[in-house]
Amino acid sequence: MSSSCSLIAKNVNLKIGQQQILSDVCLNLDAGKVMGVLGPNGAGKTSLLKILSGQLASQHSVSWNNKALTDYDPMSLAQQIAVVNQLNDSVFALDLYQIVRMGLLPHKSLLSRQTSEDDKSISNAISRVGLQEKVKQSFSSLSGGEQQRGLIARALVQKAALIILDEPVNHLDVYYQHQVLKLLRSLAHKLNITVVMSLHDLNLAANYCDHLCLLNEGKMVAQGTPEQVLTSERLQQVFKIPCEVTQNGQNAAFRVDFYPPDEVEVDVIPAAEHSKK
Amino acid sequence: MSTKWILLCLLVIVSPIVALFFGAADLSSAELVQCITQGCQDPVNNMIFWEIRAPRVFVGFLVGAGLAVAGATLQNITRNGLADPYLFGVVSGAGLGASIATLLFDSKLAEQLGLIAMFPNLSFSLALPFAAFLGALFAVFLVQVLASKTFGSKTEHMLLAGIAVSFMLSAFSHFILFLGEPFAANKVIFWLMGSLARVEIWYAWVMLPVVIVSVAILLLYGRHMDALLLGDENAKTLGVQVTRLRILSLAICAALTACIVSYCGGIGFVGLMIPHIVRSWLGVTSRIVIVGCVLLGGCFMVWVDVLARVALPSQEIPIGIITSAIGSVFFLLVMSQRRN
Repeated sequence: MSSSCSLIAKNVNLKIGQQQILSDVCLNLDAGKVMGVLGPNGAGKTSLLKILSGQLASQHSVSWNNKALTDYDPMSLAQQIAVVNQLNDSVFALDLYQIVRMGLLPHKSLLSRQTSEDDKSISNAISRVGLQEKVKQSFSSLSGGEQQRGLIARALVQKAALIILDEPVNHLDVYYQHQVLKLLRSLAHKLNITVVMSLHDLNLAANYCDHLCLLNEGKMVAQGTPEQVLTSERLQQVFKIPCEVTQNGQNAAFRVDFYPPDEVEVDVIPAAEHSKK
Repeated sequence: MSTKWILLCLLVIVSPIVALFFGAADLSSAELVQCITQGCQDPVNNMIFWEIRAPRVFVGFLVGAGLAVAGATLQNITRNGLADPYLFGVVSGAGLGASIATLLFDSKLAEQLGLIAMFPNLSFSLALPFAAFLGALFAVFLVQVLASKTFGSKTEHMLLAGIAVSFMLSAFSHFILFLGEPFAANKVIFWLMGSLARVEIWYAWVMLPVVIVSVAILLLYGRHMDALLLGDENAKTLGVQVTRLRILSLAICAALTACIVSYCGGIGFVGLMIPHIVRSWLGVTSRIVIVGCVLLGGCFMVWVDVLARVALPSQEIPIGIITSAIGSVFFLLVMSQRRN
């Protein structure tokens, strides 16, 4: 995991049927940074993450570590990039240890056995995310925050240099939201792991990400540091609601507040109309 | 090794030996012990022991092991705890393949058409499982296509697709048997209910390599199968080539089911019950489930066969009746558990 590792996307386009999902999206991210992908529903965040992780074909437009994702075979891609998807319930009662152990898969041939080194790396990863007490607990019985941390531990066992997460704090309460994001930031800064995630909460994004990119209708509206990206005018233009961005003093916490206009009864606007606006 | 595994290994050692003591012929325990340890002295006993009882126990073990492994594999790759070769139409597909082979190469119709004379060197005994394999492959792919394109990929939809395919292919195979034989009822009953009554030792020499190779491949791909339990997308991000693995696994299920069905008929629900019991008793990861299914599935079938032989005084119950009776209750229990 050298510091030269970086994620580069050039003119990413995605069309499904007649619908243009992404248009000419470009981005460049240095290793060891946390990037937040922002935007309203249907902006193309999940599609972009799928392209950045190699789950959707990108025609050589995305490269990681100076090599196009399409040039990696599935196993070597999995050694480089770990994906933490929105969680589906596992059918059979796998426990946390078994889920985390799956991170070994890209590093093992069909005949190789689990070594004591592997055992150590699994228990280290579980300790790092603070779940050592829950090792033998069924994964589906863990809370949402614990499950997310369990999947992050799997990504650590996978020894990936890039972790991609789709809305990692969705459905989590405030405590777990901060806990998961703090963990991801410390992994990035201490272990030089690059983290890319989609987020809906702009305040969390502003305070935990080094780099943000703002998507709207499949196009990159802005990217850069939170200060550069999160301006009241731009957010108002993208999210169609008046807002105010404040930052108290240098390096202090960002605050984004949205103000629904008085004359609009937000409750009675159907969701479809909101996205058309 | 945990106590559970030790118990299971003991069961595997004891079950076949004890099963040898049960049967229609009146062999005393002393004679049987002598047959096992020194060889039988009486030629009739020798025949009963080596040509009827021992093959039956051995083949019964392989049948149970193979069906349980096929069921466990189907359940893993479809992420559906209710998958079973019988419910998913694989048994019916194998039955259809075997019926077509019977019609073409071993029936009155084939004799009249001169097909038997045309292929005098064709070994029907080996053509039968091969045709069953093709039929089973056809069935699994038909269910997959129907489930994904027509019904939807939900668990219940897949089950519906499987049941529909199962009925459809069974209807075809029974029709074919009636076409080929004026008195085909016996053959239909055989396909419907399954039986180990006509087992010969060479069946085992066809089944054994199929079971060994299938189990070996499934054990090799154990970690990949585990990743599939989290869904296709998750498995892909771990480097698993999902489509290739699924095709390989389905082919293995088809091969296991075909070599069993073509010689022993349709035996239902073993592939549903045994993996469930193994998962709740021993663990859920693929390698544990596969090994557990071989051992427990084998023992289960040995004991069901004993029951089939001794339950009625002067006749045998087709083994599929017993497995279906136990299995259907088990199926209802699993369904109600899922609901809760």
